[in-house]
Amino acid sequence: MFEGLKNKLQNIKEKFGHSIKDAAGEAVREEVRPETPTSAHAEVSEPVFEPETPAVEPLPETRAPEPEPVPRTPPPEAPAVPEEEPAVEPKRFGGIVSRVKTLVLERELVISEKDIEEPLFELEMVLLENDVALEVTDAIIGYMREDLVGSHRKLGTPVDEIVMSALRGALLNVLGDGLDLLEYIKVHERPVKILITGVNGTGKTTSIAKMAHYLEANGYSVVLGAGDTFRAGAIDQIVEHGRRLDIKVIKHQEGSDPAAVLYDTVEYAQGHGIDVVLADTAGRFHNRKNLMNQLEKIRRVMKPDLVVYVDEAVAGNDAVVRAKDFNDLVGTDAVMLTKADMDSKGGAAISITQTIGKPILFLGTGQAYSDIVPFRPEAVVDELLGVEE
Amino acid sequence: MEHADPRELQSLQYYLNEYGQQAEVFARQLEMMDQQRVEAFAAIETLRSLGEAQDGTVLLPIGGGVSVRAAVPDPEKVLVAIGADVTVERSNEDAISFLEGRARELEASEKKVAETIENLKRQMNEIAARLNAAYRQQQQTVPGR
Repeated sequence: MFEGLKNKLQNIKEKFGHSIKDAAGEAVREEVRPETPTSAHAEVSEPVFEPETPAVEPLPETRAPEPEPVPRTPPPEAPAVPEEEPAVEPKRFGGIVSRVKTLVLERELVISEKDIEEPLFELEMVLLENDVALEVTDAIIGYMREDLVGSHRKLGTPVDEIVMSALRGALLNVLGDGLDLLEYIKVHERPVKILITGVNGTGKTTSIAKMAHYLEANGYSVVLGAGDTFRAGAIDQIVEHGRRLDIKVIKHQEGSDPAAVLYDTVEYAQGHGIDVVLADTAGRFHNRKNLMNQLEKIRRVMKPDLVVYVDEAVAGNDAVVRAKDFNDLVGTDAVMLTKADMDSKGGAAISITQTIGKPILFLGTGQAYSDIVPFRPEAVVDELLGVEE
Repeated sequence: MEHADPRELQSLQYYLNEYGQQAEVFARQLEMMDQQRVEAFAAIETLRSLGEAQDGTVLLPIGGGVSVRAAVPDPEKVLVAIGADVTVERSNEDAISFLEGRARELEASEKKVAETIENLKRQMNEIAARLNAAYRQQQQTVPGR
């Protein structure tokens, strides 16, 4: 899932790392150059530093002494120096250099916009090339810039950590908090009514079956409403899913009023103490006025707790545009993206929440009923950034 | 198979149809990807030959097999739709490497989709074999009809 984007983010992460390391390297060079000639004599005359810092070539691993001289005390304990040290090291100034290095290490690096301008631009291109919507790309770049530029980082802080933290924060910001359906059902009055909408051919009915399987596996009873009375064979399809999953399906004749079917489904659930109603609807394009009016009627009659919009992850930016149109016209509460296993870009998954302000509920990841993954932003970001669990 | 349950037969037939439909959807997707890849290669070819065109004049197809002569004032700068409905100006060389990257990605995706189609076909063959066996048995249990 999202391998293309994942690989490119890995490269970008490294580029940010190099840029920041370069900036840190310059800071070290600047510190060393002016201080060594002027302070050399004064520093050498300090008796405290002579015994434990002989004038030999300091190794990069050398543990540096405390910067402040403490008169008439035993040799001071070396402070813990972070592993990632600036590599620039003049060879001739012995203990003085060690001291300067310590000063630099204890000082901070302020990352300027110039330092990360190039990787930021590359990140922007990578996101756009992977179909991340323009406004979401802008938001991610904005968060990255805000997080990194002008920030004070200890020079010894591992660079990877800085970049990872900024990138992770930026992605989490656009992915939002997600929506835990099990938690939602737990705290809402039963039956929880979930209306599934979306365009034709994106795998709505199969996604309903997957959701039903997921909910039953988590201890909730489900009834399915065959609300797609428009498409030939849609009722048979959901009835077959119900049979395979051993879940009750409420259906009417093909061509009947879907609002009536779904009303009956809710009645059935109330009468039988069912936890969740999953209501199928006909696939529709947002520009088909009569079908959109029908959806409005279904909403009035069924009063769903959640309206879930289903689309394909592989549709990329088109899915984002459609989700936005649907949300503007009929309102949605959450999104499910199907065929995420076929999507190497991840653009839709990253963009939808920020664009329409609604969370992603599930990702469909294959052909089997169990191929459904609750969308957890942290897990998705970890996956994208190659963080091992 | 002991005896052919009509519901089982119906279900198998249903699976067969559903997998068939899914395979068709993936096959269409594969075709589209292949077409995009061919387009990318054609564009790479064109970009490479832009600089070689005499007087910067090239033939621009306008559909229906008709082309017009068009002058490209700066073949080194081209506009590339990179995704997310965003078009950026890139150098000829960068545009070529972008298209090469896109073609590589499409190839990888095509491989994946082709694998899925193969899996679906394999499952369909298994179901078809079971269906055939069930129908044969049904015919044997009702001789003379």
